[in-house]
Amino acid sequence: MLNFLLKPKKEEIVTFSKPTSICRLLRTGLLTAILATFCMIQPGYSQSSGGYMTYDQLTQAVKALADANKGLATIESIGKTAEGRDLWLLTIAGKGGIPVAQRQGLLIAANFEGDHLAGSTLALEATRYLLGSYATDDAVKKSIDNYVYYVMPRMNPDGAEAFFSKVKVGRKSNSTAFDADNDGRFDEDGPDDLNNDGQITVFRVKDANGLYRIDPDEPMLMKRADAAKGERGEYSIYPEGIDNDKDGFINEDPAGGIDINRNFMHAYPYFKENAGKYMVSEPETRAMMEWIIDHRNIAMVLTFGESDNLIVPPTSRGALSSDRPLDLVQFAEATKSGAGRVGMVTTGGRGGFERFMMMGGGGGEFMRGGQTATTAASARSQRPAQTAATTINTSDLEYYTKASEKYKELTGIKTQPVLRNPEGAFFQYAYFQFGVPAFSTPGWGIILPADTARRGMRPGGARTAGNDAGAAANPPAGNFAGGGQGRSMQGMGGAAGAMQAGATSEGASQAPGIDASWLKYLNANNPQGFVKWQPVKHPEYGDVEVGGFAPNDIANPPADKLGELGANHGKFAVYLTSLYAQVKVDKTEVINEGGGLFRIRAEVANEGFLPTAMRQGVQSRSVKPTMVQLGVKPEQIMSGSSKTSFFQALDGSGRRVKYEWLIKGKAGDKIDLKVVSQKAGADTAVITLK
Amino acid sequence: MKTKNTIAAGLLLFGAILVLSPVQIQAQKSFSDPQFKVKIDFNRWHDVNELYDDMGRLAKAYPNFLKLESIGKSFDGRDIKVMTINNPETGAEMSKAAMYIDANIHGNEIQGGEVCLYTIWYLMENYGRIDEVTRLVNERVFYILPTVNPDGRQHFMEKDGGNARSGHVPVDEDNDGLYEEDGPNDLNGNGMIESIRKYVPGQGNYRISLIDKRVMEPVGFGEKGDYILLGEEGIDDDGDGRINEDDLGSYDPNRNWAIDWQPNYVQGGAMEYPFQLPEAKAVNDFMMAHPNIAGVQAYHNSGGMILRGPGAESMGEYPASDVRAYDELGNNGARILPFYRYIVLWSGLYTVHGGFIDWTSDGLGIISFSNELWNSSQYFNSPDLIKQTEDANSPISRQRGRYFFDDKLEFSDQYVEWKEFDHPVYGKVEIGGEWKKFMGRIPPRFMNEELCHRNMAFTLYQADEMPMIKVGETRVKKVSDDVYRVWIDFTNSKVAPTITGRAAQNNVVRPDLITLDGKVSIISASWINSKETFDYLNPITEMIDQKQLNRLIIRNGHPGKTTRTLQYLVKGSGKIAVTYDSVKGGKVSTTVELK
Repeated sequence: MLNFLLKPKKEEIVTFSKPTSICRLLRTGLLTAILATFCMIQPGYSQSSGGYMTYDQLTQAVKALADANKGLATIESIGKTAEGRDLWLLTIAGKGGIPVAQRQGLLIAANFEGDHLAGSTLALEATRYLLGSYATDDAVKKSIDNYVYYVMPRMNPDGAEAFFSKVKVGRKSNSTAFDADNDGRFDEDGPDDLNNDGQITVFRVKDANGLYRIDPDEPMLMKRADAAKGERGEYSIYPEGIDNDKDGFINEDPAGGIDINRNFMHAYPYFKENAGKYMVSEPETRAMMEWIIDHRNIAMVLTFGESDNLIVPPTSRGALSSDRPLDLVQFAEATKSGAGRVGMVTTGGRGGFERFMMMGGGGGEFMRGGQTATTAASARSQRPAQTAATTINTSDLEYYTKASEKYKELTGIKTQPVLRNPEGAFFQYAYFQFGVPAFSTPGWGIILPADTARRGMRPGGARTAGNDAGAAANPPAGNFAGGGQGRSMQGMGGAAGAMQAGATSEGASQAPGIDASWLKYLNANNPQGFVKWQPVKHPEYGDVEVGGFAPNDIANPPADKLGELGANHGKFAVYLTSLYAQVKVDKTEVINEGGGLFRIRAEVANEGFLPTAMRQGVQSRSVKPTMVQLGVKPEQIMSGSSKTSFFQALDGSGRRVKYEWLIKGKAGDKIDLKVVSQKAGADTAVITLK
Repeated sequence: MKTKNTIAAGLLLFGAILVLSPVQIQAQKSFSDPQFKVKIDFNRWHDVNELYDDMGRLAKAYPNFLKLESIGKSFDGRDIKVMTINNPETGAEMSKAAMYIDANIHGNEIQGGEVCLYTIWYLMENYGRIDEVTRLVNERVFYILPTVNPDGRQHFMEKDGGNARSGHVPVDEDNDGLYEEDGPNDLNGNGMIESIRKYVPGQGNYRISLIDKRVMEPVGFGEKGDYILLGEEGIDDDGDGRINEDDLGSYDPNRNWAIDWQPNYVQGGAMEYPFQLPEAKAVNDFMMAHPNIAGVQAYHNSGGMILRGPGAESMGEYPASDVRAYDELGNNGARILPFYRYIVLWSGLYTVHGGFIDWTSDGLGIISFSNELWNSSQYFNSPDLIKQTEDANSPISRQRGRYFFDDKLEFSDQYVEWKEFDHPVYGKVEIGGEWKKFMGRIPPRFMNEELCHRNMAFTLYQADEMPMIKVGETRVKKVSDDVYRVWIDFTNSKVAPTITGRAAQNNVVRPDLITLDGKVSIISASWINSKETFDYLNPITEMIDQKQLNRLIIRNGHPGKTTRTLQYLVKGSGKIAVTYDSVKGGKVSTTVELK
C-alpha cells in the first residue's frame, strides 16, 4: 500500500538496473528464482503498487516525481476547485531543441468522474514509466526529447476525495453547491447507510405494485417483470436511503454538485441534473478550457474515464460503442427522476393563461408566435442551417481503428467494464471542437471473454423509437435539439413527457444492463464488489433487503490488480506520439532566369503518419491551416504562389504540396522558407539565390 | 380725496393680490413644465466616460434611490457599470421583481446606451410628479447597464467606427501567429477610414453615378470609366502581402452565451466556450446573483424590431402560455414604437446560436426582449413620403433619399467629400466618399430623444407587467369542532407568470413555495377550481400530493392574469399565517383566524 510513496530517486533507478549484470552472473543459477522477477520489471521503472491515492497522497507523488526528474518534468497547477484543491499538471519534455510550446503535445487527463480513481493511478503510473524509462529506452527518449507530454492525473479532486469517505457512495460529482431537485433546499436528502456496511447500494422491498422480480437465472440479480410474458412484478428497488426531506423521493439531493465529464460543450446534456446550470460552469471545466485553448500545439488527447473508444473503436458510422450500464443501479436511480417535477399545478385557476403550462405547443402543434412574423423575409435571409457533427468523420475513422488495435495489443484489455455514454465529456470536445484525435478508456477491462449481457427492458416506460437493445448509442445531436429531450415533444403528452423533460439522474441509459457478466467478473476477481442481500428494517418501508453492487468497485478494479497496466499505458502513449504529423521543407531548387529573376521551387511534405489536421479539425475550423511563407517582400514576387499561403490539411507518409515563386533578387541573397503547422511542428529551410 | 384714493388703491391692490396669488401659486405647482434637477443632453452621443459621468451625476442627485456600481471589467480593463434603482422604503431590493435593461453589446450599437441613460433620468426626474412613475419605482427594482461592451463603444467613438461590433479579446484572424497586427490605417488623419479612388481618365472601371455625383458605380460591359477604386485606407502593416487582414477583435459578443452555444463552424464568432469573454461572464455572474430579475431588455441596432427568441428553429417554440404573454407585450410594443415590428428571431430575422436573450429566457427563465433601435423608414416617416421613396425618379428615392436627408436636414454634416491625398504607395489619389460613422444604424441626433422615450416606454410597460402575487379574499368555514376549511385567493394580475413555461420545462427557477405556520395539523391541501360555484356544483378538488403540506412546492408557478384559490383543511385553533413566496413574484403573507 505504501510502496508508491517511495520516491523513485535516480539512485533507486540505478539500483534496479544493477540486477541485469547480476542476471548474467546468475546464469550459474544461484539466485535465479528471486532475481528473475526483478529482471522482468522494466529496468529503470519502479512500479508503485498499492491502493488508490487521496489528494494528499497524489500531491505528494506528483511533486516527488517532478523533484526527482528536474530536467524532464515540471509541475504546476492549472486551477483550484471549490474546496481549494489544485488541478495538477505535469509537463514532461526534454530540455533543448524545439521550444516546448511549439512541439506536438499529447494531453493525458484522468479522473474527471469523481469515482474513477483507477484513472488517476494509471495516469500517474504511465508518467512514472515514461520518466523511469527515459534513460534506457530509445523510443521513450526520442519521444520526450522531441515532443511534450501534458499529464493531469486528477481533474476532479473534490469528487475523488469522496471515494475515501467513511460511507462509500460512488460520487462522480464535484463540490459545487447544487440544489439537485430544485426545491429551494440544498443537499437535504443524501444517502443513508441502512445496513451499516460503509457502502451505499440499493434496497428492495416486496411490492405488489413493483416493476421487478428476482432474476430466475441469477438470484442475486433483479430484472424487470415483462407483463407481455405474464411475469408479475414483486419488488420495488430504491437507492439505499431514507426520504429525509419527505418529498416522496429517496436520495434525490445528496451532497456534491456537478459531474465534470457532463460539463463540456459537445453533446452537452442541457438541464440533466448533474450537468450544471450551463456548459463550462464549473471551476474544473473552466480551468481546463482556459488552459487548453492556450496550448494549441496539443495534437492528441488520451483520457481515462468512464466511456470508451479504444477497447471498442468507433463503428463504421463513426459512433461510439453502446453504454454498458448496470440494471440494478439504473432501477434504483429511476425512482429519483420525478423529484425535480414535484408540484406541477395544472388546474385551479381563473383567468387567461392557465392551460398548456407544462408542455410545449399543446399537443405538438407548432405555434408561431408574433402575428407579424415575416416568413418571406426568413426564407430570403436563411442559409441552410449548419449543424454540429455528431459522429467521427469517415476520413478520421481509420486512425481510431488503428489506435484501438495497438491499444489492445499493448494493454491486453479485451472486454469493456461498466461504461456510460459520453454526453458533455471532455474527450468528445477534444475531437469535435478542438479538432484532434481524442481517446477515452476506462484503463482496464473484464477479464472474461465476450459479454454475455442479457437483453432487458429499460426502466422508465416504453421503448422509444429506434431503441433496440444494443443499438449504437449515438451521442445526442451536438446542437441544442438534444434528441427531443424536453423540446418539441413529438406528441408525448402529460406525465411521460414530464419524465423525459425533467431531470433524469445520470441520463437513464437505453442500452441493456451487463449485470450478469459483471457479477461473474466480481465473483472471480473482487467478491467485495457485490454486497449480498441482507434484511434490514426501514423506517418507512418496513422489512426490506439491502444489497447490490458496491459503488467504488463499479468504476475501479482492486488497486493491486492494476498490475502492469500503468506501464502499458505509458507504452501506448509513446506509440501515440510516434504517429504525429511532421511537416518538412523538402527538395528546394533555385533556377537563375537572368535579369535579376530567380525561380524558386520547393515541396512541403508531411513525413509523419497522421494528417496535419484531422478532417474534423478542418471541418470545425479549430485547427489552423498550415502556413507556408517565403521570406521576401511581397513586391519581390513577380508571379507564382503568394508570399504567405496556407493549406488546410496534408496527409502523412510523405504526401507533399508543391510551390513555385518567380522573384526579383540578387545572387547571394539568403531567403527563409518557413512552414508552420499547429499540430505538425514546423520547419525552415534557407534558400540561397545563385 | 387723496386718502380715499390711496385706500381704494390699497384695497384694490390687496384684492388683486388675494385673487391673483392662488392662481400664481397654482401656476408654479401644476401642469407647467418641470424644472429638471439633472441636465443631460439627449441630442448627442456619449462615449463611455461621458456616460459614466452622467450616471454619476444622477446617482449623486438621487442617492436615496440610486446605486452606481461596477459588475466587473472589460478585456481592456474598463468598468462595466450598473445603476440600481430601488426605493428601500417600500421593501428590500431582493424582495421585488427586477427589470434588467442593457445595451451596446455590439460596440457600434451605441444609441441603446442613450436610452438607458434616459430611462434612469426620466424615472428619477418624474418620481413624485407623475403618479404612475412613482408607483413603478416604488414597486419594482431596475438594473440598468448602458454599455456591456465599453471597449467596443469607446473604440467606435474614438476611432473611425469600423470593426467596433466586437470586443477586444485578441483573435488571430489571419492565422499567422500574430494578433491584431494589421488593421486599417487612417492615412489622412481625419478620424475616418474612407475609400480610395484614383482619377485615371479613360483607364478605369468606375465612373461617377448619374444619380448623385457623390456615388461611384462600376461601368457596364465594354465601357471605360475615369476612376478605379483601391479599397479602404490601409497599408500592409505586417508585410505579409495582405492589407488590413487582422484587425482588433472580430468575434461576436452576442454569440457567447450558454443556451444553444455552438462552436465557431456552426456559429461564427462564438469564441471557444460560453462566458469565455470577461464581459459576458461579468453580466452572467451578476444576473445569477439576482434571481429576482423577471424581465430583460437588451438594446441593439438597427432595423426597427422587437425581437424575442427562440434564436434557432431547433430549439422549438416557447410553450403556448409564454407565447401569449410575449404576444400581448410585443403587439402593444409595436403600437408604442411605430416602424418597429414584433417578430421571432429565427423566423423573422436570422438564426442566432448562443445569443443573450436565449440564455436569459431558457437558462434563467426570464421574459426577454431585444429591440433593434431605428429603422431607416423613419427618415421619411409618413405614409405619403414612404410611397415616394419607392419611386425611382423621386429625389427621395431609395438611392437618393439619404443624400437628400443629409443635405436638407443635417446640412450635409454626415457626408465626407472626396479630397485629394498623396498616398505612400498609390501616388495621387482622392480619399473620402463615405458617410460618417453616425449615419445609417444610428438615428439623426435630433430624433434621438423620441427614440429614447418610446423605447423606454415599452420597457417600462414590460416592467410593469412583471409578475406580482397578491393575496385576495380569505374565507374560513368551520367544518366540525376543531376542523376548519380555509380558502385563500392568490392573484397575479400581470401579464407575466411567476415562472415561465420555459423556466418550468427546464427547471431553472426555484419553485414558488406556500408555507403555513400555526398550531394546526394540515389534513389536506388542494386548489379550488371555481369557488363561486363551489357550494352549488360541489366539484371534486384533487388533493395536492405532497408530503409536506405546510411547505407546498408550486413547480410551475402562478400564471399571468389569474386568480387561484387554495383550500386547506386544518385541525387546530388560533391564527394561521400563510405565505406565498415567489422568487420573481414577490412574497406576500396573510393571517387567518380559525373560528
